[in-house]
Amino acid sequence: MNVAEAVMTRRSIRAFKDTPVPLETLRRVMDTARWSPSGCNFQPWEATILTGAPLRALQDKMLVTPPQDPREYSWDDPEVIPQCLARLHGVGAAMYTAMGIGRDDSAARDNFMRSNFESFGAPALLLCYFDRRMGPPQWSDVGMWLQTIMLLLRGEGLDSCPQEALSLHAKLIKDHLGVSDETHIFFCGIAIGYRDADNPVNNFERERVSVDGNVRFDGF
Amino acid sequence: MTALMSVSEAVASRRSIRRFLPDPVERAVLERVLAKAQRAPSGGDTQPWNAVIVTGAELARISAAIIELTKTAPLGAGVEYPIYPAEMDGRYAAQRMAVGQVMFTAAGIARGDRAARFAQMRENWNSFGAPVQLFTYTPSYMGKPQWSDIGMWLQTVMLLLREEGLDSCAQEIWAMYGEAMKGLLGIPEGHIFFCGMAIGRRDPEAAINTFPVPRIPFEDVVRFEGF
Repeated sequence: MNVAEAVMTRRSIRAFKDTPVPLETLRRVMDTARWSPSGCNFQPWEATILTGAPLRALQDKMLVTPPQDPREYSWDDPEVIPQCLARLHGVGAAMYTAMGIGRDDSAARDNFMRSNFESFGAPALLLCYFDRRMGPPQWSDVGMWLQTIMLLLRGEGLDSCPQEALSLHAKLIKDHLGVSDETHIFFCGIAIGYRDADNPVNNFERERVSVDGNVRFDGF
Repeated sequence: MTALMSVSEAVASRRSIRRFLPDPVERAVLERVLAKAQRAPSGGDTQPWNAVIVTGAELARISAAIIELTKTAPLGAGVEYPIYPAEMDGRYAAQRMAVGQVMFTAAGIARGDRAARFAQMRENWNSFGAPVQLFTYTPSYMGKPQWSDIGMWLQTVMLLLREEGLDSCAQEIWAMYGEAMKGLLGIPEGHIFFCGMAIGRRDPEAAINTFPVPRIPFEDVVRFEGF
């Protein structure tokens, strides 16, 4: 698959098939993703990829545990800003409408939110964490690496869903993985598997602002 | 449009280019790349990236202003965020040193030749000869997860550029003069300047573009369980 096709066909998948993901494929993806750039070549990223019994065990724990307080990091502050709130509501409305979940059906919405902790049925889950000392530019480096992985997965016919929601259970996840809470911050999960192509939650129209909304050209 | 490129080919052939050919870059190509890059993901669909893309006389004006500023403030001025963590040890310090060493060796610069190292560093302000700069900024209220989103977008841009036969060099160094950059670019109040990205065609002969870039084995940072 070429780059543009990978970029355009990647979307956050929220219903996966149970087809297992071969280890060899993931090893190939992770090996190539090393070439993602980072300031001063820090390569600040770290991850564990779970499948099978260790994944099920983690999911079972998350489903019965209330979200941690305080949060691992603040991931919804920008939502208080009107512009971001509008974008969040836009994608939320499109998604719930596609699933046939009404605006006021909070039980159905809560239920769907919980499926985050089962990674929407994905057979593999990448859990990303890194050294707490890393600042905003290194978070950007980690983002580059994660997007590199998601695009390489498309090249292998695989799909993904990045899940910052899993940070609600950051300490639980680190404990499960044997990662030090003192030295490492947990960032996010990436659900990995094959998309259920017919499921409406994977097919609603996604909004993006036009390029002119984010980018200006000078001197051309 | 040049031949299509596989994702893995784009990832593996992207490298920070530090000597560009002077060939201009068409605006239409950049618009095509940026339109596709809007599909990069972001938490809550925030799409926190913003950029000014600059070329020609406008880029020359910005470069000249920053070079002037380096004379009075060689260690930076109006820095808005720490480009690197204050103390980095272990593998981070080692990796930083490793890439510096192999790069300066390739450029034929001896370890103790501070003047030559400084001259090579100054090439940043000329965008290493690239005809185009993409300067990125974001609202100041954005948190670390949104910086990750911006990174996803930046890498999406760099990989799409590869498919167009173009190369890039992400340059956080411009943030040494963050406040001045905002003034020069007319970036509104309430925003933080993040980085530059030199865009053009690589000089394939230059040693500084061909040295083997060190990366740690993925097994050092990625574990598999349950497979």
